[in-house]
Amino acid sequence: MSGFFGSDAAGSAATWVAALATLGVWSYAVGGGRIFRAAQFLLAGLATGYLAVLAVREVLVPSLVEPLIVDPTGEPVLWLGLLLATALVAGRWLPPVVPAVPVALLVAATAAFALGGSVVGTLLPQLGASVLVPAAGPADLLNAALSATVTVLVLFAFLHGTRRGRISGAAMGAGRWLMLAGLGGWLGFLLFSRLTVLLERIAFLLGDWLGIA
Amino acid sequence: MTEDARRQRVPGWTWPILLVGALGIAVLLDGALAPDRLEVANPDRGAADGLATAFEALPEGALVLVAMDPDLGTYPEIRPAVRAALDALRSRGAAIAVVSLTTEGRAIAAAEIARLRSLGASADRLLDLGYVAGAEAGLVLSVTDLAPAEGEAFPASFATARRGIAAFDLALVVGGVDLGPRTWVEQVGTRLPDLPLAAIVPSFRHPEVAPYLRSGQLVALLGTARDGAAYASASAHANGLPSATGLLVGLLIALAVMLRAAWGPRQPDIGGATRNAEKAA
Repeated sequence: MSGFFGSDAAGSAATWVAALATLGVWSYAVGGGRIFRAAQFLLAGLATGYLAVLAVREVLVPSLVEPLIVDPTGEPVLWLGLLLATALVAGRWLPPVVPAVPVALLVAATAAFALGGSVVGTLLPQLGASVLVPAAGPADLLNAALSATVTVLVLFAFLHGTRRGRISGAAMGAGRWLMLAGLGGWLGFLLFSRLTVLLERIAFLLGDWLGIA
Repeated sequence: MTEDARRQRVPGWTWPILLVGALGIAVLLDGALAPDRLEVANPDRGAADGLATAFEALPEGALVLVAMDPDLGTYPEIRPAVRAALDALRSRGAAIAVVSLTTEGRAIAAAEIARLRSLGASADRLLDLGYVAGAEAGLVLSVTDLAPAEGEAFPASFATARRGIAAFDLALVVGGVDLGPRTWVEQVGTRLPDLPLAAIVPSFRHPEVAPYLRSGQLVALLGTARDGAAYASASAHANGLPSATGLLVGLLIALAVMLRAAWGPRQPDIGGATRNAEKAA
């Protein structure tokens, strides 16, 4: 049903491995801690190995090593890249300040792109989409009023350490319940998502593995 | 009988077995209980039609970039919709290039590319762009610079793709991990405002991505299992959709568990921790 495994011997072996791994993970729910841990180690080991192979084959060799071997003076910035990569790899044996340089560059670049993107790509366009145009209809006005009310009430829920009266106390309570409602809605999406995945695994075991569904 | 005594009588491992057993029976009985009334597909086909419309707007022989970065755990939920979308693109004669920004996505992309090639997708219609390292920075670099995986040459149909994402007619982002449609909207959408972005994400990502559809930053979005089922139900991948009876049984069980948690012997004190912290302050 997954469409990844064929009907040949390799496909059958893959189906058996997938089925046993599934049962191994599920064994945690019935007290099979050791089998579950083995499945966890298998996943962690495979993921780490895959990442290493991917980094070497698809990043380091074609984008760094090969260009430097073919034309060492073609792109001088690659030497800087090699230096930074070496500082990361050999960081354990170097003074702490040396591997801190590439790590700082990584964090700074990621933060800069993420922050800039959040403002230009999310905050401003979403604010723009929320602004009412002069020709807004009653539905838009109602939507805007609801949005403003919910936003204000939720903001009230974050007011701590201030004196509260009856109205502000009620607003804080309403804001807290609105947050809980939002969280509940998101958990509902999560539940549905996970239930779908569980059903897919059950269908895999009954269909692809046992052949009874 | 007290609650503790009842718990001692029923071992904890009974409940997971009962849950899996009930769902297994539901899967086996799927279609037999109410074949004409029970289905996962959303009767409101707005989201499914939105993606179909985005594909119809593509020119002849369009270049489509598929960004495969789903989550290993939730990919089965969107797999039928993704495969139906890939089939739709192939049937329209689109040239599909697949790229990944995460190792998880790369693993799934490699498997899907192998599947498509085994189905006869030729090298000049399906290109593997491999894994792009560097997260957001790598994505920004890809806007103007792309290269095939493992040093392959660009086929003639993808000749313009060396100019980067800017050369494509549509980007279909298959999300699930953090580097998903939101990142594409923020990093690529702001640099290439004329490039249509469509997305397929699992249900738990829907609340995060839905605002981008409403603001027009995404041209189409399949963001729930129901919308995905509505899109894939008419395709060859309909048999990969989740069991409707299983979903019904599972949700009823979840409802029963929640009701018991709310009104059972031990009621949770919702908000109690916050109130206690406030009193202590």
